[in-house]
Amino acid sequence: MNFLSNKSYIAWYFVIPVVFIHLFVIGIPSILSLALCLTDWSGLGKINYVGFENFIELFDDRYFKKAIFHNILWTIIFLTVPVCIALMCAYLLTGIKRGQMFYRLAFFFPYMLASVVNCQIWKYLFHPIHGLGGFFESIGIEALASSPFTTKDTSLYAAAFVDGWHFWGFLVVIYLTGMYQVDNHLYEAADIEGASKFQKFRYITLPMIRPIFIFSLMIIIIWSVPVFDYVYILTGGGPAYSSEVVANYLYTHAFVRFNVGYASAVGTLMFFYVIFIVGIFGLLRRLGWEI
Amino acid sequence: MNKTIISFVTSIVLSVSFSAFSKTKVTWSMESNADRDPIFLEKLQNAYNSAQDNYELEIQFEPNETRIESLRTSMLAGMGPDIVETPGPSYVKEYQEAGMLENLDSYAAEFGWKDKLIPWAYSSGVFEGSLYAIPKTHESMVMLYNKTLFEENGWTVPTTREELEDVAAKIKAKGMDVYTYGSSGWQPTHEHLVGIYLNNYAGPEAVYEAITGEREWTDPVFIEALELLKKHMVNEGWWSGSLENYYAIGWDDFHAQFATRGAAMMTIGTWTFQATSLGIGASDDEWGWAPLPSLSSNSTGPNFMIAIGTTMSVNAAAKNKDGAIDVLNWIMSNKDVVIDIASDFEFGEFVVPLLLDESDIPSSISPQVTSYLNEYARITGEGNYGYCTWTFWPAEPGVHIWKDMEVVWAGDISVEDFMTDHQKMWDKARKKNETLPVPLRD
Repeated sequence: MNFLSNKSYIAWYFVIPVVFIHLFVIGIPSILSLALCLTDWSGLGKINYVGFENFIELFDDRYFKKAIFHNILWTIIFLTVPVCIALMCAYLLTGIKRGQMFYRLAFFFPYMLASVVNCQIWKYLFHPIHGLGGFFESIGIEALASSPFTTKDTSLYAAAFVDGWHFWGFLVVIYLTGMYQVDNHLYEAADIEGASKFQKFRYITLPMIRPIFIFSLMIIIIWSVPVFDYVYILTGGGPAYSSEVVANYLYTHAFVRFNVGYASAVGTLMFFYVIFIVGIFGLLRRLGWEI
Repeated sequence: MNKTIISFVTSIVLSVSFSAFSKTKVTWSMESNADRDPIFLEKLQNAYNSAQDNYELEIQFEPNETRIESLRTSMLAGMGPDIVETPGPSYVKEYQEAGMLENLDSYAAEFGWKDKLIPWAYSSGVFEGSLYAIPKTHESMVMLYNKTLFEENGWTVPTTREELEDVAAKIKAKGMDVYTYGSSGWQPTHEHLVGIYLNNYAGPEAVYEAITGEREWTDPVFIEALELLKKHMVNEGWWSGSLENYYAIGWDDFHAQFATRGAAMMTIGTWTFQATSLGIGASDDEWGWAPLPSLSSNSTGPNFMIAIGTTMSVNAAAKNKDGAIDVLNWIMSNKDVVIDIASDFEFGEFVVPLLLDESDIPSSISPQVTSYLNEYARITGEGNYGYCTWTFWPAEPGVHIWKDMEVVWAGDISVEDFMTDHQKMWDKARKKNETLPVPLRD
């Protein structure tokens, strides 16, 4: 009884419902999924144990390798383009006294829209008949007449652009929050020393927001693994696997090709990759990094 | 007197209530479509419910994008609707192998279903010797053309590859696309074109032999067929002007293009008839249809590719198995109901493959559709039919044929390599007993 009324356990009691929900919705299916990667289950019917056959096939699968490469590319794009733009805009916004809220709202607005809405807007915009494609064709610029989402050389970058366009506003908001935490006296001292705007950013702002900045990089790396919705809606992974990413590849195998065992093997590798990334950040924290 | 009236009213109320409450519910999860749903409710659900006193049919509509997955989940849990609707035989095969569908042999024998259905369509639902599915709709691929435009320019509707290439050049010279079609919103659209080229270049006989394992998919005749498709698609941009445009254009776009003379022809399935009638039918132009041209001497004369669009089965774990059987039997026993509903869709949907006479076709449908139905019956009746990929290809090769075709069109792999991979997938499917029923060819 004392155990139940012990105040130090109260927080645990409140967490129990969430733990149970997570256990049933995420925990058990995840464990089952890990088990399925060693089977040839179609999603229905009999389950046959096949050992590591799915993994052997996977490491020989050229489209899976292509999907991994695209995920790496996606991660690099997101670690650079939106981060740089968001850092710059957030820093510039700190200098704006009037109308700052308007900019913050404008930047953040795409993040509030559903991915399917964002995607449809850009698909219509680049539509070859009704969109800019038709316009460019009518003025004789044939190179821009086709939709970048359906062109093999541009499809991945086009999908990443739309996702990045929706995402960078979110980064602006979290960087801005970090920048407002910086002690103003540091900037005043720098002004007395005659530091330029860039020097203040480089030597005061960036070091002071480092925990938030590193956190943003971590979530970008983790979120780049299961990237799915923008690719699925805009390109479906095509044309010719040119924008195929691992999550879309998993989806196709699980729900279109009736290859749940194989898809589970893909999911298992994704799981271990995320654990690895989180582990690295955990290790850095233990080594004293402020993240 | 008052007592008599009260007891009379009470008895009526009781009997009505009893009949209402005594009806047991039959559930059917159906693909939703805003235009079609009200018709299915009125002419199928309500009509069935009024026609008998034992069962209450309840159709639950859901878009196929989510329905297929929610159906699979509920079936795995031993639940699911009484009537199981699937997008085709490859899905039936998965459910049947998992023991989730009711064997319909005894009902088919009791109600004489085999005598009511077109033989090939009946056999498409026979798995491992037993009936597990009834087609809800059957379909084919055709070539639509702008009849007015053809007449104005003195163009002839092509029946051979030479005629097709000749008219294509003339159409392009006029600044129009040869065909309008696109895969935006439905990537498997590619398989429509692959099927056309396999059947109309290699010929239905060769396709039959490959499906049944008598011929390899690496046979030069199939490679030539897909090389020709690549040439027409990539090099000549026959579909919507370019490969990129073909990928970017969807259902509404290509119907609009066809209606506004953006293109002179369209390769499409017969499910389009209603949309075509409403689209180009609203303009001053008249549309026509024709069988797909023969693309080589291997394919002699016109043929129609046969296909099942949707299937109906009974859930082995159904709460109301008898009710589900009764609904299926009612559909197959009421030709007028089927014809009435199919007519509302211009025979593009709910074309249950019942054996019909020419006199059964109502005058309310478009003359083009009437002529198609008569020609389809005549030509397929003579044994001139080919095979659509979504009805006769097992799941994995069935996805490979459209998903990886993009890789061929992109020039990343050769047609030979593609067909080698395809053959491997068929070998694997055969080994795992995943092949689908194919009607015997005369």
